[in-house]
Amino acid sequence: MSAPILELRGISKRFVKTLDLAEKLAGLLGMNVREQVVQAVDGVNLFVGVGEVVGLVGESGCGKSTLGRIVAGILAPSAGSILFRGDDVADMPSDAAKNVALKVQMIFQDPFASLNPRMRVRDIIGEAPRVHGLVKGGEVDDWVDDMMLRVGLDPSFRRRYPHQFSGGQRQRIGIARALAVKPDFIVCDEAVAALDVSIQAQILNLFMELRQELGLTYLFISHDLGVVEHLSDRVAIMYLGRIVELAPTEELFAEPSHPYTQALLGEVPRLDMRRRRFEPVKGEIPSPLDPPPGCHFHPRCPLAMERCRSEQPRLKEIAPGRFSACHLNDGT
Amino acid sequence: MADNRPTLAVEGLKTYFFTKAGVIKAVDDVSFTVGRGEILGLVGESGCGKTVTGFSVMGLVDPPGRITAGRILFDGTDIVGLPDEQMRRLRGRRIAMIFQDPMMTLNPVLRIDTQMIEAILAHEDVGRKEAWRRSRDALGQVGISAAEERLRAYPHQFSGGMRQRVCIAIALLNKPDLLVADEPTTALDVTIQGQILHEVQKLCRETSTALIWITHDLSVVAGLAERICVMYAGKIVESGSVDEVLDAPLHPYTRGLIRSVPSRNPRGRPISQIPGMIPSLLNLPPGCAFRNRCPRADGDCAADPEISSPFAGREVRCFHPHLTEAS
Ligand SMILES: Nc1ncnc2c1ncn2[C@@H]1O[C@H](COP(=O)(O)OP(=O)(O)OP(=O)(O)O)[C@@H](O)[C@H]1O
Ligand SMILES: Nc1ncnc2c1ncn2[C@@H]1O[C@H](COP(=O)(O)OP(=O)(O)O)[C@@H](O)[C@H]1O
Ligand code: SF4
Ligand code: SF4
Ligand SMILES: [Mg+2]
Ligand SMILES: [Mg+2]
Repeated sequence: MSAPILELRGISKRFVKTLDLAEKLAGLLGMNVREQVVQAVDGVNLFVGVGEVVGLVGESGCGKSTLGRIVAGILAPSAGSILFRGDDVADMPSDAAKNVALKVQMIFQDPFASLNPRMRVRDIIGEAPRVHGLVKGGEVDDWVDDMMLRVGLDPSFRRRYPHQFSGGQRQRIGIARALAVKPDFIVCDEAVAALDVSIQAQILNLFMELRQELGLTYLFISHDLGVVEHLSDRVAIMYLGRIVELAPTEELFAEPSHPYTQALLGEVPRLDMRRRRFEPVKGEIPSPLDPPPGCHFHPRCPLAMERCRSEQPRLKEIAPGRFSACHLNDGT
Repeated sequence: MADNRPTLAVEGLKTYFFTKAGVIKAVDDVSFTVGRGEILGLVGESGCGKTVTGFSVMGLVDPPGRITAGRILFDGTDIVGLPDEQMRRLRGRRIAMIFQDPMMTLNPVLRIDTQMIEAILAHEDVGRKEAWRRSRDALGQVGISAAEERLRAYPHQFSGGMRQRVCIAIALLNKPDLLVADEPTTALDVTIQGQILHEVQKLCRETSTALIWITHDLSVVAGLAERICVMYAGKIVESGSVDEVLDAPLHPYTRGLIRSVPSRNPRGRPISQIPGMIPSLLNLPPGCAFRNRCPRADGDCAADPEISSPFAGREVRCFHPHLTEAS
């Protein structure tokens, strides 16, 4: 295993949940709507090796984006520490911390929402390297052209605005913007989820090429297990804020250990599974606002025992390089 | 009801939008049938006309859009141009749709029980108590526990996924003869998706509901549907049984789509990709709309390919279909 470029130690994030539009509307109409606290990320430990692709998978709302934003330095954790190349980011002098912030870039799901609609592509891509002095003023245009070529965009489009591009092209702009500051580490948050199948393949290929050419490391967040299986070296499975399983990709898909991973893999639709008999309801996905005590998965777990209802299972190494958080690993 | 008559037969449907910028041929000569209890997968990339097809069947196309040609036979009767009042009576009771956006179905200021009970009472002469019981059971079917308590909630108290499940429960309530489901599980997680698919399968089996499942996800259709229609740029380019279409696609586009599914490619290797992107449907030039991306395109393809049926039960719109090879 290569030396870690990134290490997370006991990372947690609590949010006071703000109200969405429907809730605000309901509040205005005098209904009883309260703010609530969410433990979006709960004590996560994770290391990522240089040049590695780690997939992060889990159901909606389980905390993937929150963890990704903490890694990218966009969000501060409520507890825990982040080590970049062995150094705690919180203890770094400000210019070193700023450098880390540039070295870790994030690419988002919705390429439109994450691009400033009033900026030309040239400025979207060229602004950060110019401001941070990575490229000299006179060389910015060449640099932008390089980045555009690298992600498969025609540099003659550099004066256009984001709305003049298709979804796939906008995602390429987002990737070029991230690459423009010469990052080592990229957090991809559902970066292909909004794209059509044929375009998704193009962007996934681009990610794999860039990894080869530039030696990039990825934290690849996706709810699409097929995509994660294709791209990742290792996969982390998250459930309600906690990592419940972490393993090399092939082993995880061949032999999932945690009951939740098993349930998840059992439901993945596959091209070669025809006229399946889908299974009826097995428990409900609990709300992150009110997670069950003990093992968060116990209300849905077919193997739950008495102790699962009260005691949280720790993430333990169950075989070399394989981690799982389940009381069954203790033997009975 | 004659049993051999399909629940829905769409024939030569054209739905165009007449905008200031020009004509958008969102649905352009689309034909398909769905029989009683049958599940048809309507597959295609965004903007290819899936939702407009569904809206056309539901009679929900608004100006500047208009159905300009074709027939939509529901249980043998053409419902194109049916007076609004009659169409409204069909909708909800005999024809239902689950929309991409759950808030198209739900009213944000009404409690769930009110909305569900009204949906039943609007079409059926049963007591409130019975309607309430059915509503509670329907919520349970889509995996919402503590249904009695949840019925008293407002939509805002549910997550997006739960709202979509409420919409699915409402669509199941009246046991419609025809259900159009427009990417209803795209935003849901695979475990919940599996539960929803279980419920719609049961509905089709037990009440002979004809189902059109609209999606861009071939893998879901593979597990759910019996037949597939593949749409590209407003037209159906290929149709047939799930096995035939997925195992031996005739159209170069279908073939490209199947090959670009990551699991079809060796792990970590480049994924087979279709170059380029879907053309804009605004003022689309004549000729095969796929020709700028197609590895088989030649001079013939500057003309419009017609639908042909090289084998029984299969149709393809292409001058040079893959007649011999498997995928
Ligand atoms: N800024 C915020 N304020 C309040 N709550 C938040 C905020 N951001 C996230 N949360 C909550 O934290 C939890 C985890 O959210 P997160 O966005 O990380 O989930 P996710 O795994 O990325 O989900 P998805 O697959 O839907 O993107 C959710 O319950 C969410 O509602
Ligand atoms: N109200 C409308 N006005 C103008 N064009 C529309 C309207 N609704 C849909 N379209 C166009 O019709 C085409 C098909 O759209 P749609 O059926 O929503 O695609 P899909 O559901 O397959 O993603 C697109 O080009 C879209 O822009
Ligand atoms: S700890 Fe218990 S409830 Fe949790 S996954 Fe393991 S067996 Fe199931
Ligand atoms: S008609 Fe021509 S361009 Fe169109 S799909 Fe067939 S071979 Fe390709
Ligand atoms: Mg997210
Ligand atoms: Mg649509």
